[in-house]
Formats: sequence, structure tokens, C-alpha cells
Amino acid sequence: MRISVNVSRSIGIALFILGMTALLAATVYSTPIPALIGLGLVFWGVIIAYIQPDEYVKKTILDSTSTTLLDTLDETLKTLDYEGKATYLPPKYLNDPESIKAYIPKQETGTLPLPEAIQKLEMQPVPKDAQGILITPPGAQLARLLEKEIGTSLLTTSLNDLQHRLPHTLIEDMEIVTECEIRQADDKIDGRSQENAQSNRNVISAKFTTTAFRDTCKRATQLSTIFSNVGCPLSSVLAIAFAKATGKPTQILSEKISEDGLTSETKYIIIEEPNI
Amino acid sequence: MTPAFPLGLWDVSLVLAVTAIVLLVTSEILSPYYGAANLRINKKRLKNAAMTTSILFLTTVAIQIAAIIYGIS
Repeated sequence: MRISVNVSRSIGIALFILGMTALLAATVYSTPIPALIGLGLVFWGVIIAYIQPDEYVKKTILDSTSTTLLDTLDETLKTLDYEGKATYLPPKYLNDPESIKAYIPKQETGTLPLPEAIQKLEMQPVPKDAQGILITPPGAQLARLLEKEIGTSLLTTSLNDLQHRLPHTLIEDMEIVTECEIRQADDKIDGRSQENAQSNRNVISAKFTTTAFRDTCKRATQLSTIFSNVGCPLSSVLAIAFAKATGKPTQILSEKISEDGLTSETKYIIIEEPNI
Repeated sequence: MTPAFPLGLWDVSLVLAVTAIVLLVTSEILSPYYGAANLRINKKRLKNAAMTTSILFLTTVAIQIAAIIYGIS
């Protein structure tokens, strides 16, 4: 029988017991040196027992599982002949506001149907005569994890709030990117006409560097229905976040991934709907 | 002779200060902002521990300052 031992916790407890013994001895014999040593050991014992090592899986395992899923999605969309641009849907288009879906029209020029039509489509995801298909995007589960890390639903956050909180969460808490910059397209554009600036306001640009999803993003560039459309898992997470935060359908406008797969620059468009 | 704890608040403060510095520096060095994303340690907990130790140290300092101001020995 194999006994699983938590090494860091065992070391922490051992240090704590040793420290307490030293403190007790120091109190009995009234000597300061063992007391100082004991105090240090007690502190470090508690700290080491508290700081647990995280659970990790090898990156190669992550890559091989996630790239296979992307391949399957690409093959399915190609087989079913869905050629349109994927649109990430906000909750008002769905029966369950917590579900995460993207709509892909059959035709390349296909448009987004009304929320009622999509809700009907959600009840039977692949009807024979449908003009589009609903899929769970590759970043769906990652978006749920993001909500957990942020500590609030993406539905209750605004775009500005997200712009400030996302880089910190993705870098520090989730550790899936090492650099992240999100800005609205007109942030750094000066001297343009007011009309142009207004149209740019719906375009969000995200630039990130990732080692965790390097191979997955690199693989995504070879899949025609995924690249610049559904997006790699990281681009997909951001599209979900923008759709939820703005309450408007979001599309990936363009995606640029460096040759080594490390750096990715994605542009998103928030679609202004006609008054529904 | 009754057993007495041989350390004062100043000693505890010193131990806390050293621990806090070590933890704060470690958590900052291991921050993913500097690309150290491959160390198998819960960095959130490390940061929490560093912050807690720092707050404990500052509390001991505040107690000592209060003791000086109000003349409590």
C-alpha cells in the first residue's frame, strides 16, 4: 500500500513541534537563546505548513489534450460546413445566463439571429435546417475559472473594470500569461475624426505573452475554423469576458500569433445590435 | 523560582521583522511578473503569509511606540 505524505506539511509540523519544545525548555530554564531559536522555528513551521505546493501537470500533457480538442472542433465545423464568423454570445441570448456559447452561422455572410431564435436553437443544438450552430467555445471552462479567481461574475463587471483587473488576474493569480495589455482601440489614437473614434470604441485589442498555451496557440494557427474565428483558448477566454461584461455579442476580428507561439495579439469587436 | 518567558516584545518584533523581510522578498522575486511561473508553490498563500507577518511586525512596533508615548515599561 502506498501512503501519500504531504512533505511540506510534515516539515512544517516537525519544525513547529521542535520550536515549541525549545520555547518550553527556554521558559523552564529562563535562557533567551533557545527561546529565540524556538520562536523562529515556530514561525517557520506555521508558514511552511500553510504554504502548500500547488498541484501541477506537465505542460506536454496540457498541450496534447487541448490541441486534440481544438482539432476535433475544427474537423466538426469543417464536416458540417459551418463557414461563418463565430460570435460570442452575451447571457441575454441564452436560456441559462451562466452558460457560455458561441454562434457560428452556416454561410460566411450569415448574420446573428434574434435572441429568441438562438434560445430556440439552444434547445436542439444541431437541427437539420439550421442556419447556424451553437458551440461551447474552447475557453469556456477557463472563463469560469477566471470568474472564480476574480471573485465575482463577469456579468457584474464593466469593460473598464475588466481592462484593469484582467491582466493582474491572468498574470498573478492564474499564471497563464506573463505579459498582458488590454486597451480599447482608440485609446492611443489621436487626431482622428470623431466618427472614426466612435467606431473604434467597439474594438478592443489584447496583447499577451504566454508560455502555458504556447503550443496550443501555435497549433490554432493551422486550423482554419479556429484561427481568427473561434480563437485559441486564451483569445476565447477574453472574448467570453468581453461579451459578458458588455452584454453585447463579441467577435474575434483578427488574431496574430508569433511564429514561436509566445506572443499573441487579438482584436475583438463588440457588435452593436439594432434595438431588440 | 517560577518559570518566566525569557523574551520581550522587542525580541518577538525582531524575529517577526526578519521573517517578514525574507517572505516579502521571496514573494516578490517569485512573482510571475518576473517570469518565475514554473515554481511549484502556492504564491497566493506565500503572499498572504508575508503580508500577515508584516502586519504582525508593525503591530509590535505600534505597541512599542504606544508604550514609549504613554510611559508604560
